[in-house]
Amino acid sequence: MPTAPSSHSGNAGQPLRNFRILDLSRIWAGPYCTKLLADMGAEVIKMESLSVYDSHRGPVNPAPGIVSYPDADPGEQPWNRNGWFNCLHMSKYGITLELTGESGRRVFNELVSISDVLVENFRQGSLERLGYSYQELRQLRPDLIYVSMPAFGNGGPWQKYVAYGIGQEQLSGMAHMTGYRGEGPMKSGINHGDPITGSHAAGVLLAALRRRRRTGEGMFIDVSQQESAVALIGGEVLAYQMTGVEPERRGNRSPWFAPHNSYQCAGEDRWVTIAVTSDEEWLRLAEILGGSELAADAQYATVSDRMEHQDTLDALIGAWTADKDAREVCEQLQAAGIPSSPVMGGPDLLADDHYAARGTFVEVDHPQVGPKMYPGPAWKMSATPGRVRWPSPTLGQHNRLIYSELLGMPLDSIAALEEGGVIGVKPTGSRII
Amino acid sequence: MTISGPNSGEPMGLLDGVRAVDLTHYFSGPYCTKLLATLGAEVIKVERPGVGDPMRRFGPFASALIPETGGDQGRRLTHEEREENGAWFLYLNTSKKSLTLDLKSADGKQVLRELLGSSQILVENFAPGVLDKLGLGYDELRAVNPSLVMISITNYGQTGPRRDWKAAEINLYAAGGLMNITGEPEEEPLKEGAPLSQLGAGQNAFVATMVGLIHAEDSGEGQHIDVSIAEYATNILENAMMQYSYSGQEYTRVGNRGYGRAAWGIYPCRDGYVGIIAGPDQRWPEVANIMEREELADPRFASRYGRLVHADEVDALMLPWLLDHDKVDVFKAGQEHGLAFTYVATMEDLLEMEQLTARDYFVEIDHPVTGPLQYPGRPISPHSRSDAWVYRRAPLLGEHTDQILEDRLGYSTDQISRLRDQGVI
Repeated sequence: MPTAPSSHSGNAGQPLRNFRILDLSRIWAGPYCTKLLADMGAEVIKMESLSVYDSHRGPVNPAPGIVSYPDADPGEQPWNRNGWFNCLHMSKYGITLELTGESGRRVFNELVSISDVLVENFRQGSLERLGYSYQELRQLRPDLIYVSMPAFGNGGPWQKYVAYGIGQEQLSGMAHMTGYRGEGPMKSGINHGDPITGSHAAGVLLAALRRRRRTGEGMFIDVSQQESAVALIGGEVLAYQMTGVEPERRGNRSPWFAPHNSYQCAGEDRWVTIAVTSDEEWLRLAEILGGSELAADAQYATVSDRMEHQDTLDALIGAWTADKDAREVCEQLQAAGIPSSPVMGGPDLLADDHYAARGTFVEVDHPQVGPKMYPGPAWKMSATPGRVRWPSPTLGQHNRLIYSELLGMPLDSIAALEEGGVIGVKPTGSRII
Repeated sequence: MTISGPNSGEPMGLLDGVRAVDLTHYFSGPYCTKLLATLGAEVIKVERPGVGDPMRRFGPFASALIPETGGDQGRRLTHEEREENGAWFLYLNTSKKSLTLDLKSADGKQVLRELLGSSQILVENFAPGVLDKLGLGYDELRAVNPSLVMISITNYGQTGPRRDWKAAEINLYAAGGLMNITGEPEEEPLKEGAPLSQLGAGQNAFVATMVGLIHAEDSGEGQHIDVSIAEYATNILENAMMQYSYSGQEYTRVGNRGYGRAAWGIYPCRDGYVGIIAGPDQRWPEVANIMEREELADPRFASRYGRLVHADEVDALMLPWLLDHDKVDVFKAGQEHGLAFTYVATMEDLLEMEQLTARDYFVEIDHPVTGPLQYPGRPISPHSRSDAWVYRRAPLLGEHTDQILEDRLGYSTDQISRLRDQGVI
């Protein structure tokens, strides 16, 4: 195993340190899978091509005005300065390798032979066309766990189709049940399909690794991004069969609770969310809104009553919050035990006392970016906390470390690969979606 | 794939031999333990006697006569319908066993300790401090089983100034930054229809459980894992967070257009809605061909930036063709030209979707109250392991109480009767 490329080389608290993941995945679903593993100490080797690097690095020559670069300045090497990429590859090793020629394939064969897991989310069949089907990969590493995560899985009439995380919100049914009342479906602000698939894959591949220790057997794990996303709305699939009724777009209202909505507060685009989940909570909210008279009003006593009078109640609450600070509203409601939260944006999150106290966001100093805040590990473990060990790699940053120290290649062989364009640090092209 | 009824032989899954005690309810914890159970772990869901997971009483229910709110309108629900008929409960608790136990009683605590002595995993999603007050906090439980992996899923985590804040899904989606960026810029921020913060956090908790289990088996050392639902939301903000962190510019709501993009979202069509994805740039000319509008090949629209500047014009040129075609045809027209078009699937669409049916995605599971239903099945399929996933219907309240006490803990019939008489089980 190579030495960690930073001063943080200790292995304490890194529960997955004995697993090596060869990561050919791009964009978000695959990288989120391997991010969760890298946060916990797995040795993740992120492999890219100089001609088709991970499109999250952005274009070689970006159009003006893209603000995912530090201070909106792409700099001389924009592919190393993009926040999209840099938030998903911390604690991973970054190498480049072209698989089109024989010398590159020889190196790749060696990498596969020493890896526990290979993860890819190419269009279905792409790796097989290069001569690397699961059967062929098993020749190189008999107990390999091969995680293949194309949009629609390996098999079925749509297997060659393509889709991104945003599309999986639509094809999974998530978008169908999301939207303002009486209006059409609405996409989320992110692409839920991606992290959902990545997290699914991470859990199952760990279960497969654990099983491999007992049986010595590897496994081909077929991940359909679409099926991973449908799994998160499963209750609605059953509900439809039970009732014959499609889920309704309810805006910010709930099928179970009332009142339950977002309410505008003082300031520009400031909102608070309030959810009354029991009769007791309603009585306490009613006391705050309108004193004992409102609390005693029988027409709002049960959840069915409050459902029926939601328009009235929402207007009442909205009038009360309109001139108030969102955070202060929540402090008051929480003191009365009423579920509520401000709607928080980027500035709120990074300034927030709670997230600061928990270290939710961590500062990482990237050599081409400087110190910036990033989301840290997704959970906290008391004995083996994991941590961000180093910033996301620049393109090909760890070529020499991996090829020399891990594979034991002589330096002149590495130089020959560089001269032949098989490995390197300067992109020869980019394909950006 | 193995499908079996609750009383048939125990199939072997990836996690065969792993035992997990499940003190969870509602969405987040049950989804974590559902994944453990369908991978073959024995998951013992501990529920309050006579009450159970409150999710059992959340509709929709099978009978249209029953009001969604589960209240007193219409006819009264029979006991069985009330407890065993909620769609989300049935989905989130497949393949588990149900044991009723009063955790406030000394005997109930003793049963729990005995179960934990022979279990590797405990998953719970009570508010922080609830188990500590019962004398069942991590420090006490570690004394029972030093290699126990205990996973606590809460709104805001076990520490921090907002640790005790109450929250429903909408509050967590808001506090995690996802709601602020969803919806139209001039309207209110919008939550998802499905409880994606809780379910996503539950799924991440499943990953964390696997990490903890691997470490415990390596070292004999157990630990306490702290999963916050709001933190899960912050963890998946991706560029919505990074853009602000990097350049100080806040990510805003853009409705159904992709952020900084055009022709990158949901559009109406003849029989519903479709997803139009205009990239990558080199594929854009195909859109003009598909939609039979030469104007769309205008060089002004050739780049992502150009389309963004002329977004309204691009929309106006696409809409006539879209409104004249059905969603599946739009989807396939794009896909056949290498474009990642999609359509907005309804529940009916999903159940009939040729890709899902060809892959045997749905699993029919029978249930005494609902009858047979098609359940979304394995999210992941290990091809070389046909029996990797285990499907059984969700348990009735307390269905496995006697079996677990007898078979797992060696209780006698008399002891079980005594516990039942005292209301412990």
